[in-house]
Amino acid sequence: MGSDTSSRPGIRVGPTSEFSLFFHVKPGHGEALHQALRDLQAAPGYRPGDYEMPIASIHEARFVPFDDDTRLLFATSFDGPWDAYMEDFASKPLRLFDAIFQHVVGYEGLPTLESVKDFILSAQQSAGGYARNYGGTVKEIRKAAKVNEAFQQVLDDPDAAEALEHPALRPLLDVAAD
Amino acid sequence: MSTLPPGSVHGPVDTTATGMSPALEIDDIQSGALHERPSPYVGTYLLLKVHEPADGRELIRRLIPLLQPGRELTEPGLGAWLTVAFTYEGLKVLGVPQDSLDSFAPEFQQGMAARAAEIGDVGANSPEHWEKPLGTSDVHIALAALSPDAAHLDAVVDRARRAQEQMPGVEVVWRQDCYQLPTGRTSFGFKDGIGQPTVEGAGTPPTNRGELPIKAGEFILGYPDETGGMAPVPTPDVLGRNGTYIVFRKLHTRVAAYRQYLHDKARTREEEALLGAKMVGRWQSGAPLALAPDEDDPALGADPARNNDFGYATDLRGFTCPAGSHARRANPRDSLDHENSVDVRLHRMIRRGTSYGPPLPDGVLEDDGEDRGIIFVFAGAHLKRQFEFVKTQWLNDGIFIGAPDEKDPLVGATDGSSPFTIPQHPIRRRLPDVPPFVVTRGGEYCFAPGLRALRWLADLTT
Ligand code: HEM
Repeated sequence: MGSDTSSRPGIRVGPTSEFSLFFHVKPGHGEALHQALRDLQAAPGYRPGDYEMPIASIHEARFVPFDDDTRLLFATSFDGPWDAYMEDFASKPLRLFDAIFQHVVGYEGLPTLESVKDFILSAQQSAGGYARNYGGTVKEIRKAAKVNEAFQQVLDDPDAAEALEHPALRPLLDVAAD
Repeated sequence: MSTLPPGSVHGPVDTTATGMSPALEIDDIQSGALHERPSPYVGTYLLLKVHEPADGRELIRRLIPLLQPGRELTEPGLGAWLTVAFTYEGLKVLGVPQDSLDSFAPEFQQGMAARAAEIGDVGANSPEHWEKPLGTSDVHIALAALSPDAAHLDAVVDRARRAQEQMPGVEVVWRQDCYQLPTGRTSFGFKDGIGQPTVEGAGTPPTNRGELPIKAGEFILGYPDETGGMAPVPTPDVLGRNGTYIVFRKLHTRVAAYRQYLHDKARTREEEALLGAKMVGRWQSGAPLALAPDEDDPALGADPARNNDFGYATDLRGFTCPAGSHARRANPRDSLDHENSVDVRLHRMIRRGTSYGPPLPDGVLEDDGEDRGIIFVFAGAHLKRQFEFVKTQWLNDGIFIGAPDEKDPLVGATDGSSPFTIPQHPIRRRLPDVPPFVVTRGGEYCFAPGLRALRWLADLTT
């Protein structure tokens, strides 16, 4: 497996593709890695209760140290075929995680694009199984949540039932009962 | 001039540019890439098949004096620009060694026809329907001649043809003439060729103050690029350096269908013009919606100091210019910066498109059967992350704007079932089932070498 190209870019569900990177932690960097992860968790977008990660095209992100802190998993769900964005990762998202990747093998400043590609592709493993419970991109999900919030506000209005009687609002009335 | 080892800094260092990039070897770069075509223009594209490698190489030798490297067409010695480019098959036939061929971008080696499924040339756009010999192994050399007037064009095409006629082992297999329509617009009625990146060190002033000049290595091989590195330069260095990849596509425009569509969806001529502008991102005059939200402003459209000087950061929801419009998709400018997923500067391109075919007379909504459209020409250092990325991620798909079902309403690879959304108060307008307005007639991925490289090719002995 390793950088087996036939398995890239992994499994896609609708517009979203799974993306997992398995790194080797630099010897002796376990504690520093944990500290970097705690710092990340305290940063805007990653704090408990925050939902605005600085990277807008991923649904979630997790960093999992494992095997006694000798390995690190980064797993996410990416809107779009992530391999098309490889060069972009180098200039944008990778930098945001700089403090974490400092502690993994192969991240030595990434002087060239080739080194970035090697860094990502040597760590990437395609999932053997991947499924999603909802469709849509992050942008659509956020919009849907906003629209629902607005709809709930409408329903809280005492005149809502009467207003929703209009034929044009029928689809909304159909989902207003619970 | 002698050949320099790879990676060596050559020529004087351009200290005016940021980041101390090495100065462009303007005299070694074919002029078509770095300089605007004349306007108005007439032009001819010729595709050649090489039967006898020795004749092909002799032709290159004779064409070299006709090329005007890097220069603006200010003192027209010849009065026309000639650009010479090669397909992978062409380089192979001319005797370029295999290890050198292998050093070119994989997409170039495959050729455009082999990339068809990837880039959305499917259905009516697929290579099996292309105009022959486009997309076949018979296309070896591409010649483009552009001139401000027919007399000068004829003169240079004649010279090129004479050079070719004395070479029986080289055959002209395709010819396409093009000319700017009297209106100065392309077949759909829009001014084209406005939005262009400013190339660092090329000497042209920036037109968009919101976009710092793009590193020359994004367009010309052998120079630092936006990643801080350099695009892979084909080997040997003398062949790759100062070259650029060229994408050339003949795109038929279904002008009557387009007009009929606007006519059906709009009640007045003003509404038609607005809908057309919402689909393109600019009014017909070239005035950008971002600066002229409500009505066309021909003075703005005609003013090169203003017509490209804008961004979308204050219009993220697209009330002024829809995120799905053609120009905003093709260059989202600053609208994605806050998302931290994509670096727009890695996906820029130089465009050198021209028009072909007669205009459909004003007001006509019936198809007259004429072939008309644009010859789309791209120049850049990366077929994949520039041309193919823009085509696949931004034009043929809508994931990046949170509308996976939508495609570019003007040029997207569509089967006619994609919607187009126009944000507006109080209620957005959604047009379902936008029909296809553009049909791919064929195209090629080419490589336009520098002048030294052309001499190297002419001197091959294999
Ligand atoms: C028949 C097909 C096409 C037509 C009629 C067309 C037309 C236009 C028009 C009217 C504009 C706005 C004027 C301007 O900024 O120059 C434009 C801009 C642009 N188009 Fe196209 N286009 C076509 C195909 C394509 C394709 C296939 C691509 C890329 C793969 C592309 C890339 C661009 C880019 C990069 C811009 C400039 C955007 C900016 O910087 O704001 N176009 N096009």
